[in-house]
This record gives sequence, structure tokens and C-alpha cells, in this order.
Amino acid sequence: MRKHWLLRLLAVLFTFTLIASACGDDDTSDADPVDEPSDDPADDPEDVVDLAQDDGGDTIQAIIDRGHLECGVNGQLLGFSNVEDDGTYTGLDVDYCRAVAAALLDDPDAVEYTDLTAETRFTALQSGDIDVLIRNGTWTSSRDGVLGLQWAATTFYDGAGMLVNSDSGFGSVADMDGTIICVQTGTTTEINLEIYFDNLGISYEPLNVADEAAVTANFSSGACDGYVTDKSGLASFKATYDGDVTILDDTMSKEPLGPATREGDEDFFDVVQWTVFATFNAEEFGITSANVADHVGSDNGAIAKFLDDQESGLAFPTADWAVRIISAVGNYQEIYDRNIGPLGIPEGVNQLYTQGGILYGPPVN
Amino acid sequence: MTIVEQEIHTPTKPPLYRDVRVLRWLFQFAVVGVVGYALYRLYDNAITNLEDSGLPTGFDFLDNQARFAIPGLEDSADYSVRKAYWSGYLNTLRVIVIGIPLCTALGVIIGIMRLSDNLLVRAVGTIYVELFRNIPVLLWIFITYLVIILLNLPQITDDVTPLDRFVISNRGIGIPWFNPDANLLTFVGFIGIGLIAVVGVNVWRRKVNEQTGQPSRGGLYGFIAFLIALAIAHFAAGNALSYEPSVIAENGRQIEGGMNIFPPYVGLTIALSLYTASHVAEIVRGSIQAIHKGQGEAAQAVALSTFQRYRFIILPQAFRIMIPPLASQYLNITKNSSLAVAISYVEITSIFQRVSNNATPALQALIILMFCYLTFSLGISLIANFFNRRLSLETR
Repeated sequence: MRKHWLLRLLAVLFTFTLIASACGDDDTSDADPVDEPSDDPADDPEDVVDLAQDDGGDTIQAIIDRGHLECGVNGQLLGFSNVEDDGTYTGLDVDYCRAVAAALLDDPDAVEYTDLTAETRFTALQSGDIDVLIRNGTWTSSRDGVLGLQWAATTFYDGAGMLVNSDSGFGSVADMDGTIICVQTGTTTEINLEIYFDNLGISYEPLNVADEAAVTANFSSGACDGYVTDKSGLASFKATYDGDVTILDDTMSKEPLGPATREGDEDFFDVVQWTVFATFNAEEFGITSANVADHVGSDNGAIAKFLDDQESGLAFPTADWAVRIISAVGNYQEIYDRNIGPLGIPEGVNQLYTQGGILYGPPVN
Repeated sequence: MTIVEQEIHTPTKPPLYRDVRVLRWLFQFAVVGVVGYALYRLYDNAITNLEDSGLPTGFDFLDNQARFAIPGLEDSADYSVRKAYWSGYLNTLRVIVIGIPLCTALGVIIGIMRLSDNLLVRAVGTIYVELFRNIPVLLWIFITYLVIILLNLPQITDDVTPLDRFVISNRGIGIPWFNPDANLLTFVGFIGIGLIAVVGVNVWRRKVNEQTGQPSRGGLYGFIAFLIALAIAHFAAGNALSYEPSVIAENGRQIEGGMNIFPPYVGLTIALSLYTASHVAEIVRGSIQAIHKGQGEAAQAVALSTFQRYRFIILPQAFRIMIPPLASQYLNITKNSSLAVAISYVEITSIFQRVSNNATPALQALIILMFCYLTFSLGISLIANFFNRRLSLETR
């Protein structure tokens, strides 16, 4: 008899398992048409183009129907996306979430933010939990190719740098043979560090740290000689670090950061891309959030076209999309000054091409 | 009448749907079918969704280059992902192999302390258990590494090198060690000679014990014999067993030679052992209390000392009760070792994090991680079950 009891118990448990898994299936398949149109089977290569266009339109439509944009951000990185004391989000990445929401919904506040870790960020976008990922993620070929993502544009050009104690005597990374370097686990920086030292023909030992608090503990107690991360991150680290530290001149990698969307969302991809370009173009035209209304119907043909786009056929719901974006977040310079400026990071190439930088918005024509 | 009686007494086969053997088989098949179907649906769901999202479904990435460096391993950036996983696996194993004996020894001592007649000893045991058991192990790991090790070990610039052969710093604890590359064969051969000496001495001591009744003390004599045999072999072969002293490298930044014990490893192993010992102590206490009081009293009646009472009467019986709950604590120490991610020790979860962030399909990387932990856990369960069967009472 005991055996029977056991079997029955097992049967009940397995039934629960089955029901649970079946429910899981149902949930996703129910949710698919609403939230995640891009998950439709697109196996047949001949159908891919058609499906992708349908899907793209559906994503924009899904955002409009839903009434808000699902935006994946870091949430803990001062200057890029940070949660304020009152629970609101600020930062350069956040402003681009707001810009996309403004363009599509005419309401920059219609954004639901999801804080993502380095591990979950790409999966969240792939699985359709978020519409767009603006989480200081570096645009690389393998992320673009293997992960099924596309980077729409670059909103901040960064590069890995090295921070050392000012009295360490290191003038450049080439002096640092045989040292121990603190680096955050699971980042592109880790690989760039390896490549840079390898090219210089010198050796080092990595000390993998989980987060900035751990860096502070290890670095201040002398467990590592240098700390490597993006220069913007080093600047904010230096600002809060209690000690005399120097950021070496070496730029050890290219780290273009910007918004990424799912592959197969061509229309939505265009929307995100041109939202970013709009902030560049506005700065070039001298349009700010304060004076954008004055420029509508301008005598300058290019500006008039930019602010009342009747021809491009981009999937924005209205022709005044640029006006919506600029009145919500302003031009690139405004966004930069508001978020990155206070950190004291040198602008470097993050300026318009007209001012010596490399930001360049294609014309609206 | 006769017909009815015949029907009762003739053993006719029941119909299939009432045959208990058939029903049992059917039920088993149904269960297997249901489980199989559930697993198939989960697998199919994952594969379909991966394909729809245009993501790779295979495990080809294992042969890709890892591209990140692993502390303590030269040229580790050239490793394949497979090899990177393997070095993480070994690092986790290092924690388990040292952590389990450590937490058991400490746990047994604390558990017995909690049953002491001495108030002070009992109080120390209680405070230990309550302190470690009631604070999350992650905090203990932070405290041990960030506060105790990083801040209290000297910095490498302080140049603390006892005997010019050891290095003590928060970048590593260097101890002199045999150079396995230079004389691995000699090393293994000498260990073999030592082991032969141990066996020989144990045979001799057992004979002495049988003939004279003196305690055999096989462990103690064996250890001494091992050291003596090793020393004789070493000098006889003309100082064949060379070792490397541990020194600070020329640029004063790293430790060279000998064996370098990585501080995060020390922090993690100590924190995990201390924490798990508090749980082990409670298991030990409970198991001892489950032994009939008469056993201890009988031991006292024949004038055994406290040590002898525990060693020969109580602990052997208590171990029988302890093994299943102890095994689950060993599983805990294994799984908790994944918290090393927080303090720079590159074990298997840390490898997974780094692998999955470099454009590797996260699901597959996670499946491999789960499989690795499964091998640890099943291994521990196997060993525990072996001892459980060997020590279990023969009951009828």
C-alpha cells in the first residue's frame, strides 16, 4: 500500500508540473500577438522581409495601444540612468527613452522603466519584455550579429581608461607590466583590457570585481594597482573616491553606447534612430527646447522640413515628431549639459562635427 | 449450488482493467508519459522561441575563444570557453574540498560545546551558532573578505616576507611549494614511498595492539613514518625534492614562485565554513541528544573519559543519524560558493557571468552551469548515501 501512496503523490506532483508548464506555454502564446509580434515564426527566409515590416509596424502600434513605452535602463549609473530620491529617472539614456515616448505618444512621461543588470539586458530585449534597450551597452559586431539586436545610433562615444593612484609613478599603461588590475566582471572592458595589454606585450593579473563598491574596497586597500572601466565611469568614480587618483591618457577601446532594438523591427528601429538624429540636427540648426515653437514654419527650408516632415515616410505617427522630441528633451547639447555636464567628463568627440566632434545627423530631406 | 461453488473456488483471471499488476504498469507508463511530455514541451518551447528570435540553439560556442583572462592562469585569454568553464569548475571544487572538512570539524566541536556542563563553554557555543546562523552568508562573505582580509593583511608594499620564503599580503599569501613542473615524477614517487611507510607502520602497530593490548595509534605513527620516509628519501637522493620559495616580484606588485593562495579564495572558504559550521553544530547537537541517555551513562559507569565517551560510544552512533542532514549542509556549501561572484573569486558562476556577457547564448551557458552544479551535488549525494548504507543499523 505504501508504494501506491508514493505513486499517487508523484502523479499529483507531475500533474502540477505539467499544468504549470502548459500554463507557461499558454501565457506566452496569448501574450505573443499583443506584446511580442516579432516572435511570429519567421523561419522561411522569403517571408522574413514581409514579416519584419509587419512586425515593425505592430511594435509601434503596440506601444500606442499600450499607451506607454517599455524602456530598459541601468538605473544605477549617474549621468546615464539613475533613480532619484523621489523615484523618478534621470540621465542621458533616460532622456532618449523620453524622446522616443514623446515622438510616438506626445508624452515624454509615458515610459515604464525596467532596471536591467548586465546579465539580463539582452535577454530582456530579445524576449520582448522591453521595446528598446538604452542601458549604456556597447555596440559590438558579435552583439549585433549573434544576439539578434540592432544598435540604432550612438549617443555617447566612450572608451576604456585606466585609473591609478597619483603617487604610483605610472605615466601610461605601458609602464604597468606585471601589475594587478581591477576590472568589472562580465563586461567588454575585460576583453579590451586583455587585448590592449597583449598588444603592448606586457602582462597583468586581473582582479574581477562585482561592482563599484567592491572596486573601492579593493583599490583603496592596495589589492590592485589600477582600475579599468569606461572613462565616463572613471570620471564619476574619481569624483566620489576619497584619495588622490589619476586617469591615464590611454584610451584602451572604443565603446560606442546607444539604444538597441530587436532585429526585425525595421520601422521601430527607424523611429529610434531618427529620434537620436533629431537631437543632433536640432543642435546644428540651433533649435532648443525653449525656442522650438518659434522655428515651426521657418523660412529656412531645411528647418521647416525638419519640423514638419510630410515626405520622409518614417513610421512616426505625426509629421511634427521632431517638435515633440525637442520640446520634450531638447537638443543633444541640452541633454548632455543636463546629465553628463555635472560629472565633469571632458566632451571629447561627443560634440557636433561642426565643433570638432563626430556627432553627425543625416539630413531630413 | 454446485455451479456457484465452482465459480467461487476456480481461480479465474480478473478482467485486465481490474488486474492490479496491469494497472500498476499502466500507471507507471502514464507517469513516465506525462513527465516525458512535460520535458518535451519545455524543450520544444525553448528551441522554438530561440529560433524565432534568431538566436543560436546549439552548444558550438564552447569551442570559441574565451577572450577574458582568469586570475592565476597564464595565457588564459586563449582558452576555449570549454576550458574556461573547466577552470571555474576546479576553482569551485577547491572551495568544496577544503570547506567541507573545515565546517564538519568546527561544527562537531561547537555542537559538543553546546552540550557541555561548563556554562562558559556552552555559552560560547550558543553565541557562535546564533551569530552565524542568523546573518545571511553573503554578509559573512563580505565581512570576511572586504573587512578582515583586505584591511588586515599587509599591503604588498609593506614587504612582509617571513623567513624570506613566505609572502603575506592582501594580493596573495605565498608559501614555498614544490615545483610540480620540474620534478612531478620525483614528487609522486616520494609520496608513494611515504604511503608504503604508512601502511607498514600500521601493520606493525596493529600486531603490537593484538599482542600487548597497547593502543595502536595508527594515525599518529603513520604520520610520523610518512614524514621520516619523505625526509630519508629526500636526503638519500641528494636533495631531490626542491621547492620554490615565494617571493615578491621585482616590480613589487605580484607574488612569484611557490604557491600563491588567492585572498578571495581564503575569504570565501573561511566564511562559508564558519557559516555552515553553525548549521552542522545544530545537527551534531540534535543527533547526540537523540542517542539514548543510557549510552553516555553506561560509558561513564565503566570509567571512560569524556573524550573516550564521545569518540567510542556517542559519536559513532550519532554519525548514523547525522549523515542525511549533514549531506544537505554539504550541498548548501556547494551552492553557496556561487556567492563568490561578489568578492572576486573566479569560480564557475563567475565564469558563466563572463561567458554569457560576451555574445554567448545565455540559455545554453546557463544550462551548462546548472549541469556543473548538478555533478557536484549528485557526487556529494552519492558519497553520503554510500556512508549512510554502510553505517545504517542492520534491522530486520
